[in-house]
Amino acid sequence: MTFERVGAKRWQVRILAAVLATQALAAVFFMADVSRDLQWGGLTAHSGLEALVAVALVVGTMFGAVQMRRMLQQLRYAETGILAASGAFFEFIEAQFRDWRLTPAETDVALLTLKGLDISEIAAVRGAAEGTVRAQLASVYGKARVSNRGQFVSLFIEDLLQRPPVVTDGGKPNRGTA
Amino acid sequence: MMSDLASRSVGVRVWDPLVRLTHWGIALAVLINGVLLRDGDIAHIWIGYGALALLLLRLFWGLIGTESARFSAFPPSLGGALAHVRSLIAGRHIRHRSHNPLGALMVYALWATLLIVAATGVLMQSDPFPQETHQERYEHVEQEWGGESEAGEAIEEVHEAAANLLLLLAALHVIGAFAESRLSGQNLIAAMITGRRS
Repeated sequence: MTFERVGAKRWQVRILAAVLATQALAAVFFMADVSRDLQWGGLTAHSGLEALVAVALVVGTMFGAVQMRRMLQQLRYAETGILAASGAFFEFIEAQFRDWRLTPAETDVALLTLKGLDISEIAAVRGAAEGTVRAQLASVYGKARVSNRGQFVSLFIEDLLQRPPVVTDGGKPNRGTA
Repeated sequence: MMSDLASRSVGVRVWDPLVRLTHWGIALAVLINGVLLRDGDIAHIWIGYGALALLLLRLFWGLIGTESARFSAFPPSLGGALAHVRSLIAGRHIRHRSHNPLGALMVYALWATLLIVAATGVLMQSDPFPQETHQERYEHVEQEWGGESEAGEAIEEVHEAAANLLLLLAALHVIGAFAESRLSGQNLIAAMITGRRS
C-alpha cells in the first residue's frame, strides 16, 4: 500500500467510525420507538415494518463494524511494514487466513512467521511471552494442516511460483539450449 | 529486520477511531446530562439515548474490535490491579498494550454504572420522542394510577444514585489517568485523543 493510499484509507476509517456511531444512535432510537409502539399499539403493519427497519439497522451496524475491523488491520500491516508483499499476494494471504479462521493474534504471528521471524523475535515484537507465541503458532499450523514452518511457508510459495519448469528425462530442468 | 520492526513500533497506535469517538462522546454526554441538564428535560433524554447507543457500539466493538479494544486485552482482574498498584508504589512501571489492570477495573465499573443509569432512564421515560416533558408525563401517570407509583419512584431514585456514582467514578477516572501519566511518563490523555502512545 502506498503512502497516499494509507492516508486516504485512514480518512475512510474515520468516516466509517462516524457513520457507525450515527447508525448506532439511529438503531437505539428506532428500538425505543418500536418497543413503545408495540407496547401501546400491538403488532400492526406500521410497527412491524418499523421493527424490521430497527433490526436491519442493528445488523447493518454490526457488519459495518466487522468491515472497519478489517480496514484497520490492513492499515496496521501497511504502516508497520509487517507485510511488504505486493497487493495481490497480500490479498491472497489474507483470504487464506480468513479461510482458516485465524484469530487476529494468530494472523499476526502467522504473518511474522512468513516474514522469517523466529519465535523469540515474534514474542519481542508483539510484547508477548514465547510460550504464548508458540501456542498460537501451533494453532496456526493446526488450522493450516501443516506440521512445521517449512511446510507452512511453502503453501504460499507454491502459489507464487505457479508451475515449475518442465522436467526432462535426465531429471534436470529444461532451460532451453539454443 | 528486528531493529526495523522495533524502531517502527515507537509511537504505536493503541486506540482506534471508534474507541476514541465512543470514549469522548460518552464523556461529553455524561458531563452534559450529569452537570448541566440534571432536571431531565427532553434534551437530557435524547442525550441519554445517544450515550446508550455509543456504549452499546463500544461493547460490541469489545467483542470484534481491534486488539487493544477487545475485552480480552483487559480482563477484569483484582489480583492484576493489586499487582499494578504494588509495582507503581515500588516505582517500577510495566507497559500495557491496552488499559492497565487498575484502569481496566475502572472501565468495567464505569460501563456497568452507565448501563444502570441508561436502563433506569429508559424505564422512566420510554419514549424518545415525547410529546410532553418528563414532569408532565409523570403527573399524567400519577393521575391515571391515582397516586404515585412506588416502582416509578424507586426507579427514579436508582437513576439518580447511579448517576451520582457515575460522576464520582468519572472524576476518579480522570484523576487516575493523570496520575498514571505522570508516574509512567507516557501521556495517556494525549493517547486517547490522537490514538498514539509513545
